[in-house]
Amino acid sequence: MRKITIVGSPNVGKSLLFNRLTGAYVTVSNYPGTTVEVSRGKTRIGAEEFEVIDTPGMYSLLPISEEERVARDMLIDEKPSVVIHIIDAKNVERMLPLTLQLIEAGLPVVLVLNIMDEAERIGMKIDLRHLERELRVPVVATVSTTGRGIDILKGKVEEYARRKM
Amino acid sequence: MHEERCNISYDILEISLEKIESLLGSDYGISKRAIGLLLLQGDDDIASLVRSKEAVDFYAKIEGIVKEARAHYHEPLAYIIALRRQEETNRIVSGAVEASPKTKLSFREKLSRIMINPITGLPILLLILYYGLYKFVGRFGAGIVVDFIEKNIFEKNINPWITRIFSAIIPVHMLRDLFVGEYGVITLGIRYAVALILPIVTTFFIAFAIIEDTGYLPRLALLIDRLFKKIGLTGRAVIPMVLGLGCDTMATMVTRTLPTKRERIIATILLALAIPCSAQLGVILSLLEGNFHGLWIWGGIVGLVFLLIGFLSSMILPGDAPSFYMEIPPLRFPKLSNVFVKTYTRVQWYFTEVFPMFILASLLIWVGQLSGLFNASVKILEYPIRWMGLPKEAAVAFLFGFFRRDYGAAGLYDIKKAGLFNGNQLVVACVTLTLFLPCIAQFLMNVKERGAKTGVAISVFILFFSFSVGFAVNLIFNLLKVHL
Repeated sequence: MRKITIVGSPNVGKSLLFNRLTGAYVTVSNYPGTTVEVSRGKTRIGAEEFEVIDTPGMYSLLPISEEERVARDMLIDEKPSVVIHIIDAKNVERMLPLTLQLIEAGLPVVLVLNIMDEAERIGMKIDLRHLERELRVPVVATVSTTGRGIDILKGKVEEYARRKM
Repeated sequence: MHEERCNISYDILEISLEKIESLLGSDYGISKRAIGLLLLQGDDDIASLVRSKEAVDFYAKIEGIVKEARAHYHEPLAYIIALRRQEETNRIVSGAVEASPKTKLSFREKLSRIMINPITGLPILLLILYYGLYKFVGRFGAGIVVDFIEKNIFEKNINPWITRIFSAIIPVHMLRDLFVGEYGVITLGIRYAVALILPIVTTFFIAFAIIEDTGYLPRLALLIDRLFKKIGLTGRAVIPMVLGLGCDTMATMVTRTLPTKRERIIATILLALAIPCSAQLGVILSLLEGNFHGLWIWGGIVGLVFLLIGFLSSMILPGDAPSFYMEIPPLRFPKLSNVFVKTYTRVQWYFTEVFPMFILASLLIWVGQLSGLFNASVKILEYPIRWMGLPKEAAVAFLFGFFRRDYGAAGLYDIKKAGLFNGNQLVVACVTLTLFLPCIAQFLMNVKERGAKTGVAISVFILFFSFSVGFAVNLIFNLLKVHL
């Protein structure tokens, strides 16, 4: 079975996205660093079933804490077919460096701008097309607490995974 | 001039990177460029990985290139690479994001600042502790609900009924004791689990889920950061500590999020020693209910021990004082569904873990009673118990405490109900049992996370330390002629 790995800094909604995709329940908290163990589940996207892996939070490919090391090892060892990098849309500036690192590492990245509702509330407008052109990877906006954008994300993942076959 | 120098430096970094890439022959799961960058940034794990996969002379060459590149820059390479990446990010973001941030601080932002500021933040913390923990968990959960289930359901209905049934079907007294005796599986094990621990843990998890869902905890971390730094921990350690109030075993696992080994060990010690878990905390709050001075003294002593041990271990354990970096999520109104799901999953997890343990404990006690081991252990424990000025019945509660902290606290609850404690003794017992040994699950987690030697050492230290503190508190009470 091919794998989808979810990565991102702490507290951007990795576990919630994992729950949305797999229908499983992983403890979700409004504070950073809750996921210390790696969770695995399954999801059906299109006609294919994928294994979904939720990782502990990471800020950079260069790890500082043990949880970051775990997350990085997952990326290296598991050879995922799709890496979903989920970031907080409000803090795109601070979180995009990891996207660049993941792309640089040759990983099949899909960028998810999560918590889009809060970004819009503070008056941010983000041009997804422009980001896609610059990064040359699919970019999706979501609100994982309500489920907005999850179907679009699934569509992009399907399309992306087909191309990477 | 400056411009040109930058360009040259850039080239050196790029050239070094290209050279390293050409020397890397194996497959690493990620691009060679990424491996090269990590090597340049001084990643030890990747360095040893590359050493194990590449030929010796190739690795030596790579090491040489990294050293040479480093010598060219004043700043660490990790910093320069991060800076360059940030520049690239800023370029992309400036093209893609149009921000018109509102200039006025929102109400949330104001509230958030009030919570972090020490002057306004501490009173808010005290309010949350008083209403969330003391009133809701201590008085409502551990007081009203427990009383109701204990008295109306167990003592009036279940216990007499079950005892009658078992008396009828099992004529052998010895075997009957296993189920309905003084420490029987049903009369003690299940009663403790369902009548005492379940309501306390449920109310605690409700309060905790609400606090957690608002996003208060990271703000608490910032508030306490200064204090924690003094004892060698960062504010980041607040989260394992606060989680410890739920369950210390779970929290010990979460200490993995702490960046340095030193912090992880200090946090493990503090969790094992001075952080009571939810069930224990609830029972203790209800024990001290109505004894307001006692509650303050208990809180003061445990807090003091926390600071003292934290401070001392940070002096003894080598390592750098940590720095603190954490995301602050927005404050939001707690969602009912979140609170419900969190409480439900936690209670379910806790209960499935605690329930078999309580039954197992009853079983072990039964075996212990038959073999005489139980009475012998109680006899031994009676010595330190007497030194602390406690009635000898308390020995049983402490023996329970070897299984689980909450089990021990529940034992004290029965002794208080029997009217065997005066005010002083109650406080001494509560302090000692709060500090007392981590439960079996937590001990195993300590061993798993910190290694057998450290795990065992922590437990031995705590065993002696907790009795010493109980002894000292009792002594001070007597010297100062305190009567609570």
